[in-house]
Amino acid sequence: MRIVAEHLSYTYNPRSPFAVRALDDVCLTVEEGEFFGIIGHTGSGKSTFVQHLNGLIRTPASLKRRKRKQASPVQTLTVGEFDLTDKKTDFRALRKSVGMVFQYPEYQLFAETVKEDVAFGYKNFADKKPTDAEIGLAVNEALSIVGLDPNEVAGKSPFDLSGGQKRRVAIAGVIVSKPEILILDEPAAGLDPLGKREIMELLHRIHGAWCKTVVIVSHDMDEIAENCTRAAVFAEGRVKYCLPPRELFKMTDELLALGLDIPLTAKICLALKKRGIEIDCDFTTEDFIAKTLALKGGVK
Amino acid sequence: MKEVAFGQYYPVDSFIHKVDPRLKLLFLIAYIVAIFLAKNFYGLAACAGVLLAIVLFSRVPLGKVLRAVRGVTFLVLFTAVINVFFYRGDTVLWGWKFLQITREGLIFSAFLVLRILLLVVCSSMLTYTTTPVALTDGIESLLTPLKWVRFPVHVLALVMSIALRFIPILSDETERIKNAQKARGADFESGGLVKKVRAVVPILIPLLLSAFRRADELGDAMDARCYMGDKHRTKYKKLRFTWRDAIVFFVGGALIAGVVVLRVYLGAPV
Repeated sequence: MRIVAEHLSYTYNPRSPFAVRALDDVCLTVEEGEFFGIIGHTGSGKSTFVQHLNGLIRTPASLKRRKRKQASPVQTLTVGEFDLTDKKTDFRALRKSVGMVFQYPEYQLFAETVKEDVAFGYKNFADKKPTDAEIGLAVNEALSIVGLDPNEVAGKSPFDLSGGQKRRVAIAGVIVSKPEILILDEPAAGLDPLGKREIMELLHRIHGAWCKTVVIVSHDMDEIAENCTRAAVFAEGRVKYCLPPRELFKMTDELLALGLDIPLTAKICLALKKRGIEIDCDFTTEDFIAKTLALKGGVK
Repeated sequence: MKEVAFGQYYPVDSFIHKVDPRLKLLFLIAYIVAIFLAKNFYGLAACAGVLLAIVLFSRVPLGKVLRAVRGVTFLVLFTAVINVFFYRGDTVLWGWKFLQITREGLIFSAFLVLRILLLVVCSSMLTYTTTPVALTDGIESLLTPLKWVRFPVHVLALVMSIALRFIPILSDETERIKNAQKARGADFESGGLVKKVRAVVPILIPLLLSAFRRADELGDAMDARCYMGDKHRTKYKKLRFTWRDAIVFFVGGALIAGVVVLRVYLGAPV
């Protein structure tokens, strides 16, 4: 499933003093199989954009009128075969194919046991009422892939788990319906370094095996540099750049001017460059170290 | 998210917005008294005229003002229907068994409906033009006399302002949780009553947990900054009466006086 957005605009509270233009003519394509990153400042429109992708925010009804007039470019948003600007789209089917993990997903846990909570999405999306055995199987599978031992946690209350475990349960609760596209808003926010690494490893396990496409929204440039095939930079509701990290993080000055950070590897490359040492790496730690070590002989 | 921004407050700069919240509160009370003192349509017309002036001076769009009325449509219709059919008058226009429409009944219901509408619009003008913070400040200041009998006015005001402050936060949170559960396929729209009530559980539990967590955190933060209640506290924004308040004061006074005069000299509508 491809995600194609063209000329997508969205305003919160239109025609009132609270009006906020969150998206402004966004054009973006995410290919099937990508590990796509979305970066940008708070309020740059990235969260608004991803909420469009499974129909939680819909393009306003006035769209049709505008289509006829052809005054402004036609807004389109399609995810696979779903046309999200069409009111008649089956949003339940869409949400089954596009899983969405919100920021701090552990705050959405509600059931008495982990098993029940994870099964919530599975039951909602099942075409006919699933049997207990089917539910158990799906839940166990989902819990295993997020790195939890089903025998140990399935019967516990989700509120008795640690912060990192809660987040895994919440992610399991989304992927249990096997969505084709998985979207995560700041999946590693508020976790310690080890927890962050574990979440990213988990996403790599999910990517490919469970969900063909993964889209993450993140503030952490290292995360983007290490994991993503491509990344889009949002600023003031527009897409400023959409490039593979290898090219994106070469534009150090542009990113810093937008008030964004750059990955640690890019910072070191920059510092080395000032001293006359050029390293051409793709900004992943692995590649950076390999290239630096290869250089070792040449440096005095 | 961001759908319910700050209660009802409509942020523009106007004469009415600048009036001292205490005076606005007092004026509202005076206005309500005036509405109930009015015995005939002349009195209500005077009230309506004053209200119209307030709406115009406040620069709140008319559509927004009328939206406040929409919330009480049912109440208004209900009152009107009951009174039209059951008011016992002399001039019977139509009758069927125990139902009866009289000329007096029609006039009386029109009178009541007008009363309710004026009441609702005037109170919503208060919330449209006053920030919740200013409103609680005003209430605290007006209740000061109760401090003499050891009534915890400050605590009451604090509870009110915290509650008001949390409304947008919790409504944001509700929206977020609702979206998260919708993304997991939760369905809040279809099904019968039982199904709908059960569908609320996945929203309610996380929401309650988060409300308790926030309350805990706020309490800790206040303790950490040595909050001790109103002892030795000064105000950042001191309320002061100005010429605007004098005008409002006289308009309020004149309204009550006028309505009383109209009541005495022109008599009842029916």
